[in-house]
Amino acid sequence: MVTGAAEARFLPRSQLQVLIDLLAEDGRRVIGPTVADGAVVYDEVRSPDDLPVGLRDEQAPGSYRLVETGTPRVFDVTVGMTSWKRYTFPPIVPLTRASREDGHLSLESSAETPELLAFLGVRGCELAALRVQDRVLAGGPFVDTDYLDRRQSSLVVAAQCTRAAKTCFCTSMGTGPEAGEGADLVLTELDDGFLVESRSPMGDQLLDRLPADLAEPAQQTAARLAVAATRESIGNPVATEGLHDRLLDALDSPRWQEVADRCLACANCTLVCPTCFCTSVTQRADLDTSTIVAERSWDSCFTAGFAKVAGGSFRSRRQDRYRQWLTHKFATWIDQFGTSGCVGCGRCISWCPVGIDVREELEAIAPPAEGLRKHPQLAGGTGPATYSIGTIRSIAAETADTYSLVIDGIDPTITNGTPGQFLMVEQPGFPAFPISISRYGLDHVVLTVRAAGPATSHLVHSEPGTEIGLRGPLGVGWPVERALGRDVVIATGGIGLAPLRPLIDALVSARDRFGRVRLHYGARTPRDMLYTDELASWPELGIEVALTVDRAGPEWLGRVGVVTQLFDQDDWRGQPAVAYLCGPERMMQVAVRTVGERGIPAERTFVSLERHMECGIGLCGHCQMGKVFVCRDGPVFSVAQLGDALNVEGL
Amino acid sequence: MPAADSHLHPTRPKAPAEAIARPRVGVAKLTSCDGCQLTILDLEDHLLEIAAAFEIVEFPEATSNRSSGPYDVLLVEGSVSTPEQVEWITELRRRAGILVTIGACATAGGIQALRNWGNEPAWRASVYPRPELLETLATSTAISDHVVVDAELRGCPIDPHQLLELLASLRVGRRPQLADEAVCLACKRRGTVCVVVAEGIPCLGPVTQTGCGAICPAFGRGCYACFGPKEQANVESLAAWFAEHGVDETSVPRLFAGFTAYAPPFREQAERATRHAHGQKERTDA
Repeated sequence: MVTGAAEARFLPRSQLQVLIDLLAEDGRRVIGPTVADGAVVYDEVRSPDDLPVGLRDEQAPGSYRLVETGTPRVFDVTVGMTSWKRYTFPPIVPLTRASREDGHLSLESSAETPELLAFLGVRGCELAALRVQDRVLAGGPFVDTDYLDRRQSSLVVAAQCTRAAKTCFCTSMGTGPEAGEGADLVLTELDDGFLVESRSPMGDQLLDRLPADLAEPAQQTAARLAVAATRESIGNPVATEGLHDRLLDALDSPRWQEVADRCLACANCTLVCPTCFCTSVTQRADLDTSTIVAERSWDSCFTAGFAKVAGGSFRSRRQDRYRQWLTHKFATWIDQFGTSGCVGCGRCISWCPVGIDVREELEAIAPPAEGLRKHPQLAGGTGPATYSIGTIRSIAAETADTYSLVIDGIDPTITNGTPGQFLMVEQPGFPAFPISISRYGLDHVVLTVRAAGPATSHLVHSEPGTEIGLRGPLGVGWPVERALGRDVVIATGGIGLAPLRPLIDALVSARDRFGRVRLHYGARTPRDMLYTDELASWPELGIEVALTVDRAGPEWLGRVGVVTQLFDQDDWRGQPAVAYLCGPERMMQVAVRTVGERGIPAERTFVSLERHMECGIGLCGHCQMGKVFVCRDGPVFSVAQLGDALNVEGL
Repeated sequence: MPAADSHLHPTRPKAPAEAIARPRVGVAKLTSCDGCQLTILDLEDHLLEIAAAFEIVEFPEATSNRSSGPYDVLLVEGSVSTPEQVEWITELRRRAGILVTIGACATAGGIQALRNWGNEPAWRASVYPRPELLETLATSTAISDHVVVDAELRGCPIDPHQLLELLASLRVGRRPQLADEAVCLACKRRGTVCVVVAEGIPCLGPVTQTGCGAICPAFGRGCYACFGPKEQANVESLAAWFAEHGVDETSVPRLFAGFTAYAPPFREQAERATRHAHGQKERTDA
């Protein structure tokens, strides 16, 4: 950052004209916020009276109104309809002029020498927008020289925001309300004047010539507090952490269609956006085509012509265009230019004629994972490598050989685990074994254990009150957050339902954040089904349950067959859905194929694998499966992560 | 017979097989006000150029010389609203190399298409003392509903710049650059403050095809869609927004019942408006 050496000054309100005159001194045209037709637009400013004196903007989705405040303040408006792009990257720029005379073609550039400008009142988000366009248009291997010339011909006086509109979200995008890099001078409006700081040598020169004394500490504090209060009032409306990946993971979100039902594809959002840079070249010819003028004008990914080739448009539907815009702005822009394309100015929200709020759409399309159980912190005395003690409170039979044990008195690290994680269970004299947590309580967990060998048999036949050693929670569980806003299909067999039950609990706890949820569950016989009470009550909680058995008894009136056959009954298309599968490996192979055929991509099909585990932390080597350690990297994997490993015999 | 929505996507003129030195151009009219023809005459600075480049053989508003064709290029204004015109436009199509429909009447049926929802015999009887002498259709429709059209110029009236661009493109056999985007883009490039957002004025610009230069919003009033629906026009969403934001619910459909009311994406709304008007009338009658 180029920082001027000079200290902050205080410019009395009565001296604002001097600043404007100084800016205009070397023939610069001063551009600043002015009022036209009920809104702030950036236009020529000759005196403070041209500024929006005593006005405040009330912005909301699809609405913008100026309101009188009765104060002499000039920067109580936030961002105007136009952006500075209008001057650095004008809507229409002549490119070339071609003419043909006597059979000879001449092509001349129409490049103009840009006029000298001074921008007065550039907001933090707008400075950021200029930096974004600097990267896009002048930071790559090819430079838009027209843009660069205009940028270099403009002086920038920023105004830090001392109030925010309801549409502002600069705080989320890290662009404001403070003025970041790129200003020559920075103003902060106080009741009786302006704190003025220099940020460049040019700014230093201006500051020296201003009739402004050094600012009092109280004035500096007042300025800082005013901007801090603005930051506070905005909060953090957009969760940007991981947004890039979340958005690109949601290309098939059903929400694109919903927003397209409201979107007009009118392009207003892109044209008011201070960073959108897409253009088209049109040629204007006179009647005999002797002279042809090529012009570049603002275009938009919302027009059909923008993606048109012979044969039609690549983005013929509104949903395609909205998705292009949103994913570019918040995700692929980062891949292309190393910065988000959004600066959080909120113009696209206010100036959308039907009030589509990009903040809401991001929340719906790429919801943040907050509020769902997260991976526990692995620090501290207990956890993966250390045993803690738990007490068996109760043991209840689920089937002839499977029991659910309530374990309490345990370390909170364990109850803070995630669905699909497991514990290593230690009983003196027996080898430790891994067991999934089948329910999380506030102070206890439930382990559902099949008495398959001596250690597990010993456990399920313990007396209540017996203490056991527990190590965990271990491994990577079900990624519940991937299901936000999507349909969910869960397919499992037999005891495979146990590690899925905490996932179902998580879905139920925030039921409205997910789409349709279906559970396909199969067992050898009706008596081998776990949690039969819950299977009966889940439908009331919004979980559709479909059951099947291999062999029915006289009491069974339901379906007979394998779990994957349950898919055939269903009318769903899987494309926007997430699949969670757990069961014998053979069953999962078939289930993976089945959901794949229904359109659920491998990236969103998750399986829980079983292997011989001893250490649970990837150090003993037992559970290797190809590239992964099942205990440490799993037991839950996406099918994409496993690749072909799932289908290799004996891996 | 072209698809019913063919006028949504202007078909492009065919490149002439070989450039014609001075194409024979005709201007014809069906049911219309002649305003589009007058727009041609309004191109005062270019009239000599046009006359040099094209041989104008038929142009009712400009010359009493007549020609029954054939025409290399035929510009037709007006809608099809009589049985005679159905035959006439078929005949004109036969005589024209390139047929260009011009104006809201020719491309969407015009303001007179509002009668498509009315009681035609009753109206006829209320206007003419001897209605039986009159032959008319119950509907006023776009020319593309009857014959294949090579290009369309929208608007009431058409835009002179678009007309010049069309003529220039015809000279060299390229596609005319007639954008199918919303009026909003022109507003934003001009820097016009949005009247919907800043003043709550219902404006059809977001669903209307550009070409006029966004004149109305620049004068503080809403676009009334004389260029007709843009591609992917989301009429329902805009209408719902207006209804939720202060526009009287019965007035919303009426916004669309204007110069291009019979263009399919507007038709449903306009139909609601006329149904409402008729409902009121019936009540008055009772």
